[in-house]
Amino acid sequence: MISLKTVRIKPVVEEGREIFDVTSGEAGGKLMVTRGTGRRVREVLGEVLEGLPSGGVLYVDTRGVELMDYSFADEALGILASRVAGGEYGDRRVVLVEEDRELLENIEASLRQRALAMIRVDEPGAAPEIVGEVPEHLVETLRTIYDAGSITNADLAAKLGLNHTAMNNRATRLVKLGLIHRHKNTAAPGGRQYSYEGIA
Amino acid sequence: MNIRRKGAMRGILTLGSLDPAFMDAEKVDGGSTVLDLRPVEFVEPAGLCGLAALLELLISRSRLVGVRLSGHNVPAYLERMDFFRLFGHRIETNVDVAALEERRRGNPGTLQELINFHSEEEIPGIINRISEILTNKDYRLRERAGICATLSEICANAVEHGRSSFGAYAAVQAYQHIVSGGRERRGEEVLVAIADGGVGVRETLSRNPKYVEFTGTDNDALRHALQMGVSGTGEIGRGGGLAVVAQISARADGSLSLRSGSGRITYYGDRTNSRNVPNFPGTFVRVSLPRIAGSDQPAARTKKPKAEN
Repeated sequence: MISLKTVRIKPVVEEGREIFDVTSGEAGGKLMVTRGTGRRVREVLGEVLEGLPSGGVLYVDTRGVELMDYSFADEALGILASRVAGGEYGDRRVVLVEEDRELLENIEASLRQRALAMIRVDEPGAAPEIVGEVPEHLVETLRTIYDAGSITNADLAAKLGLNHTAMNNRATRLVKLGLIHRHKNTAAPGGRQYSYEGIA
Repeated sequence: MNIRRKGAMRGILTLGSLDPAFMDAEKVDGGSTVLDLRPVEFVEPAGLCGLAALLELLISRSRLVGVRLSGHNVPAYLERMDFFRLFGHRIETNVDVAALEERRRGNPGTLQELINFHSEEEIPGIINRISEILTNKDYRLRERAGICATLSEICANAVEHGRSSFGAYAAVQAYQHIVSGGRERRGEEVLVAIADGGVGVRETLSRNPKYVEFTGTDNDALRHALQMGVSGTGEIGRGGGLAVVAQISARADGSLSLRSGSGRITYYGDRTNSRNVPNFPGTFVRVSLPRIAGSDQPAARTKKPKAEN
């Protein structure tokens, strides 16, 4: 796992952000096994995610789970991440709330199988990290965006020594992976300009 | 049929010791069959699940199936492992089951009696129960997670890929000594075994055209099945369960054995052994999870297993 930054900039849970405890509800529990259970949890998570406003972030809190097998992890979180990356939930995002413990290995394995990643925090408000797979050349971009809190494409390009198009392509990939937010700033000098910010 | 011919020489009922009986069972066509288990002195979960699969095969092919046992320990163990509850009404035996039931005592090492299951929906209940037992026995969270994840993943594979008329059988037993391997090692061991009567690993993987070069033999298919992301369906994200179980067993310094068709492989983390064996109709999995007897564990015994189950 890669740490993105050490200092938190934003407040913990603001409007449009919701924490979902995986141990709660009918499908929840401390022992999360099988794809069937994972599917039920994912359906609930999907409903909550759809209920969030545009740009909303769902914090999926698995800290109360004692055991999660690979099948559950893939079905509940791997497929959810895949659907977020596929644009099924618009610009709504998912953040994993979990500590660095063995249970994470199954989530990591599932996301790597899918060439996907999620942003993870030890607790809402804590420093964000990556779980899963982010292409090496995008990690620096991701880290710079999280360090900045919010940054324009031009500033990001300047910091990383890339031209604007290359920078935009890299950041767009991170947007599509569901790891950052992108905002369009039409009032920028010279016309349209994107700015990026972390989701956790 | 008499299993005395092979592995049961040592008196330990394993899946391998049932091979001759499986071979003979293929030839059974109606009539009566007697399975002579009198030389057996010790039954481990692998032998118990193998016996269940064998009896399913024999019962489907015979008019009457008899099971002969001797002594007290093995019949008493089979009773404690719910063997007679599952098979008592389907076989004829020389054992006085009613008397065993009356004298039934708890078995401290039993983590899961022989259980027959057919669907994925049954698995969370099985895992909840074994997790509670492990908690009560002061297993550490890490060990508990390893045992539960092993059982859940393999059970899920059995019901998904191993669909058969009898579903699948599983059993889990903890020992205060190391049962697996020839050499004596100090410590404790948890054995997980599952057998199903499905189409087998090679057939399942063969459904995915991209694995054609990895499914030439049963052993090729078994080796390939241990790789992350290898599954019959080919869907992304699938095929991780068995790879994770292999990692769990390797991390515990244990092993994962798979049998399917004429293949048999054992994965130890740093090496994989394979050999050709008599046909097993379905898929069989045995996982050894040794425990290092630490200060918070009961003192380990190094005594050889002998009719102690």
